[in-house]
Amino acid sequence: MPVTFTFGEWFSARTVIGQTLADLGEEYPNLWAVTPDIGMTLVEFREKFPDRFLDVGLAEQVAVGVAAGLAYEGNIPVVSGMLPFLSMRALEQIRTDVCYPNLPVKIIGTHGGLVGNGGSTHYAVEDLSLMCSLTNMTVTSIGDPLMVGEILRQSMKMQGPIYIRLAVGKSDMVLYEPGQHDIQIGKGIVAREGTDVTIFTHGTTVAQTFEAADALEAKSHSVRVVDMFTLKPIDADLVERCAKETGGRFVVVEDHLAYGGLASRIADVVVDRGINLTGFERLGIPQVFAGFGDDEELRNKYGYGLSATIEAAERVIAAKK
Amino acid sequence: MGQTTLGSQGQRHSVAELEDLAFELRSKLLYLCGTYEGAVHIGGDLSVADILIALYHYGLNIDPSNIANPARDRFILSKGHAAVCMYIAMAMRGFFEFDEIVETYGQLDSAFGMHPCKVQLPGVEASTGSLGHGLPIAVGMAKSARQRNEPHRVFCLLGDGETGEGSVWEAAMAGRSSELGNLVAIVDRNRQLMTSFGEDRIVLEPYPDKWAAFGWNVVMVEGHDMADLVKALDNLPAPDSNRPTVLICETIKGKGVDFMERNLAWHAGSLGQADLERAMASLEASRAGKEKN
Repeated sequence: MPVTFTFGEWFSARTVIGQTLADLGEEYPNLWAVTPDIGMTLVEFREKFPDRFLDVGLAEQVAVGVAAGLAYEGNIPVVSGMLPFLSMRALEQIRTDVCYPNLPVKIIGTHGGLVGNGGSTHYAVEDLSLMCSLTNMTVTSIGDPLMVGEILRQSMKMQGPIYIRLAVGKSDMVLYEPGQHDIQIGKGIVAREGTDVTIFTHGTTVAQTFEAADALEAKSHSVRVVDMFTLKPIDADLVERCAKETGGRFVVVEDHLAYGGLASRIADVVVDRGINLTGFERLGIPQVFAGFGDDEELRNKYGYGLSATIEAAERVIAAKK
Repeated sequence: MGQTTLGSQGQRHSVAELEDLAFELRSKLLYLCGTYEGAVHIGGDLSVADILIALYHYGLNIDPSNIANPARDRFILSKGHAAVCMYIAMAMRGFFEFDEIVETYGQLDSAFGMHPCKVQLPGVEASTGSLGHGLPIAVGMAKSARQRNEPHRVFCLLGDGETGEGSVWEAAMAGRSSELGNLVAIVDRNRQLMTSFGEDRIVLEPYPDKWAAFGWNVVMVEGHDMADLVKALDNLPAPDSNRPTVLICETIKGKGVDFMERNLAWHAGSLGQADLERAMASLEASRAGKEKN
């Protein structure tokens, strides 16, 4: 059943995944959905294509291994689950069974970052670092629920594997008007134009960064926001352009370990291309097991919440050349 | 679901012919182990030599001249460290030349490495080597065949030590749950791990009961008795039946070379010229002994 989406409303990324896969299943008779007992997003797909749906129960390793077997046979398997488990319990299967032969397995899941209040067993905070290290893997982290559908759609035409990271996915703010941006895997989205500083972010913290930008604009700062939803391959040209156009002032905010995620990817570009920065701050999760609390409380506690973002941007803007 | 025979195999081999082929495979293995400078997993190669001959020269419906034929049986070597034994069995079946293996094995840019790589050697069905990965992949392939109503089988050869990996049992559950009668696991039950004898450190028994408890059709096979292997392959349940089958093949690590048999020192190694001659003499003697019986 088609649903109309409205900009600025809250919507479920899970619903988008379910509907997109149910649609793509018509278009791609070789599309499969595989899940380790996290099939609630896949009800429609399962009902439409019961012979291409497989729930293996609580068994992430075999979920990914089976997906590799399906892909060897010319199918396009989408493995849907919870990322702390898919990215770690099944890491070797992802690396060796999927990436090594470069199979078109799509891994999509929730619980990227300090979300869901499940505690450190249920937070994927190292996942982007792990996935970015894998040969042949494309790595994305999506904040806008509607974008998930577009990324899934684009991924159907990709040869190799892709990792798609979401937050909890039950209720996410629609950030972009349909058609507002040209969304392409591998290209960052300049979501707000500005000249004083660039704030790079992805996933759960995109909406928060928009709020920070509003607050900074109110103080007469011109803030560029880049939704760097593809971490690998990183859009190095955009990083370089932002350095030129925003005075070499960068802030990176992410719901991931501060070292090993987007900030590190950008720092690599800066070093490799010899880009001179005036200021650089990275906000993210420190090397701790974070404990309980809701998303906002945890972001504030660990220094990558709204006020921390505003303060970091002000410090970077004030930095002397 | 009928299955057409692929390739130009003509008449199927007799047991005696298969035994000759297994002898030839072992001779070639020893030759490679004597000429290649690095280590070869000779112990576990020799324990699966008969199984691989029974598969590549009898049981598998395959066509070396059309490796992508969708109707072919799939074979995954989950115990990837026996790759060289598989390469030689495949060469003898016409997939490539044995000389290619001897000339390039383990060398820079060779397609023939210690563990099989699908990208470098498209004739193999999957890249393996990390233990416990083959059976989940086989489940995916068998599931795909079912969905497409294709009548071929998917075979997967595992070491018994390998079945200490939990992912094997995840796959055993998945294979049963999906009622994959087209899936056949073959276990090389040589009762040795790399550094210990079976049961000393990790208890696998009651081994057949474990597979039966996971809902599999269990068949016990003498893994060095070609007639028994052929019988097991002839009597597999139909691919459209609803339970996967495991052939538990009782084997001996190092089989055929007296000083390697059940010897922990020969999990992997290389043979010098003198040892190669000694190994070949032992192989000949064991064949002569067999013929006398």
